[in-house]
Amino acid sequence: MDWTPLLLSAKLAFWTMALIPVLAAPLACVLAFGRFRGKSVLDAIVTLPMVLPPTVLGFGLLVVMGPRGLAGAAWEDLTGGRLVFSFAGILIASLIFNLPFAVQPLRASFEKMDSRLLESAAILGLTPVATFFRIILPNCIGGLAAASILVFAHSLGEFGVILMVGGSIPGKTQVASIAIFEAVEAMRFNDAFLMSATLVPVSFAVLMIINKINARRP
Amino acid sequence: MMLCADMTKRLKHFDLELRFSCAPGQITAVVGPSGAGKTTMIRLLAGLERPDSGAITFGGQTWADPDSGVFVPARKRGLSLVFQEYTLFPHLNIRKNVAFAATDMDRVDALMDMFGIRHLAASKPAAISGGERQRAAFCQALAREPVLLLLDEPFSALDVATRRNLRARLKELKGELDIPILHVTHDLEEAVFLGDTVMAVENGQVAPDWLHRQCLLPQQ
Amino acid sequence: MKRIAPFLLVLALVLPSSALAADLLIAQAANFTSIMQDEIIPAFEKATGLTVQATYASTGKLYGQIVNDAPFDMLLAADESRPDKLYADGLAQKPFVYAQGQVVFWSLDTKLCAQGWKAALQDPAVKKIAIANTETAPYGTSAMKALQAAGIWDAVQPRLVFGQSISQVFQFASSGAADVGFIAYSSIFTEEGKKGCFVVVDEAPPVVQAGCILKKAPNPEAAARFAEFLASPEVQAMKLKYGYK
Repeated sequence: MDWTPLLLSAKLAFWTMALIPVLAAPLACVLAFGRFRGKSVLDAIVTLPMVLPPTVLGFGLLVVMGPRGLAGAAWEDLTGGRLVFSFAGILIASLIFNLPFAVQPLRASFEKMDSRLLESAAILGLTPVATFFRIILPNCIGGLAAASILVFAHSLGEFGVILMVGGSIPGKTQVASIAIFEAVEAMRFNDAFLMSATLVPVSFAVLMIINKINARRP
Repeated sequence: MMLCADMTKRLKHFDLELRFSCAPGQITAVVGPSGAGKTTMIRLLAGLERPDSGAITFGGQTWADPDSGVFVPARKRGLSLVFQEYTLFPHLNIRKNVAFAATDMDRVDALMDMFGIRHLAASKPAAISGGERQRAAFCQALAREPVLLLLDEPFSALDVATRRNLRARLKELKGELDIPILHVTHDLEEAVFLGDTVMAVENGQVAPDWLHRQCLLPQQ
Repeated sequence: MKRIAPFLLVLALVLPSSALAADLLIAQAANFTSIMQDEIIPAFEKATGLTVQATYASTGKLYGQIVNDAPFDMLLAADESRPDKLYADGLAQKPFVYAQGQVVFWSLDTKLCAQGWKAALQDPAVKKIAIANTETAPYGTSAMKALQAAGIWDAVQPRLVFGQSISQVFQFASSGAADVGFIAYSSIFTEEGKKGCFVVVDEAPPVVQAGCILKKAPNPEAAARFAEFLASPEVQAMKLKYGYK
């Protein structure tokens, strides 16, 4: 059996999980603590990837990340390579697609924080940014863990969006979910079964690990 | 340095209108019925809320003056506030909590000794009693050498013995700290014991006769 | 509810339509959708008074449904292999050819077409080449054979991107995500197709699309009439119009 698609799926899920807090935490923070006009608009935009059909999202990303699109053109200027049909491209798609799944649990755990703790931090001299890193984040490990689990599991199974912007290139963008689909289409049912059978215990193991980490925190 | 407060704020059921000052080395006890606006007053002084009009100055520095558009945020005022319930950071141990905004570690240790919590240095807030947490909160407030100390019913949730003990400590420290101290309490005995001045707030206004009226009520 | 409504709408459009009381149920390979939907079925219904219900999906999916007893009368595939397999397994009558497609080289950039497709692939401006899955899509297999015949299959490997279907390949090429694509000749006639240029790939074997009437067909006579209709000169003219033979 060819392990590449599985390894690629694992790589994509891992990098999505590692990078998504950078995007999700500030957004969750703004949504949890901010008070400004247009907050509900921001909320809707962040939740949009969860509601849009993957093919619609995928097509939109294809246009934006393509060589003629805003993001794609900028990428080519910077790196000389094409953003669509690359691992970087499917990673960006994965981050956008998973954003609401990370923002929701993070926001919930931020909102559960006692506002007096934050006021205390302010009185004791911390700036809002310092408060975020030194007080909010350490006390919201539960939310972070929940976000990580959701995002990792979700990324492993991602299909529609990756299909649209990935081009199914073996070794680069042909993740396990696509490889399984192609195997079924080509009537290579044995391959499809083997790949599926491997994904289940791997996902299970990762979820167990993250749950253990979460349980140890107060 | 002297605290001079002249603040108004529109609240739900009435308007808050307070004018008073506090001298360094003095404790001003603040009493009054619940819902009178005492906590709002503390929050305005702390910089957690903005007054609608008036001016709050400290030692000549303007902390808030809406008409001139001046507002110094809480983190820049250098004061300390002790809430009724512990607001220690749950993820840090007691020593780290106390030392949070402090620069002088010897002072941290001395305070912890004075308040009898040195032995709890490595414990987390969740693992110690409410009384111990309040002591730690006091240490945290004092460790940073605040320019002003605001206390919002700091002893209300404690047992009688601890309350008496901490009250005495506070009175002892008054002269040494030499800063204005505002102490909100619903315990009149405590107010009279601690306060160099007692200020009653009722319906958002200073009510000079409120205390006298309490004396006329049958004893609880 | 507001959030879910558009999602439900798209879901309803994407799900294969259930078989209502139609006289004939056809499993149709997706690449033939527009000609079937807009021309052939309306003409057949008008001529015979029968109602036809067609499900459009990839040949692979339809094959999978058929071997699991989906109630179709006939399969009109994108290749010959699936109808042949059904026949060999005793699930269908002898297959017949109903259309022939052709692989063409297409690009938004007219300069590339002018060079001829083989030279264009050597052009360094061509960074990504879209091709259909060579294992499962007949247009992909055909394009691969052309590239192999021209001796450049190995050389182009690093630049290939694979579409699951020929329409996805066209999407890659027409959006500009891929610089060039090996698409179906029939796509030329679409609005998007007209925005680019094309070169017929002679080295690519024609994509022979075969169909077969299923043994378990509920309406075998209607199916037979439809198969006959597909061979008529009227349909032949439609096929030419849409880029098929």
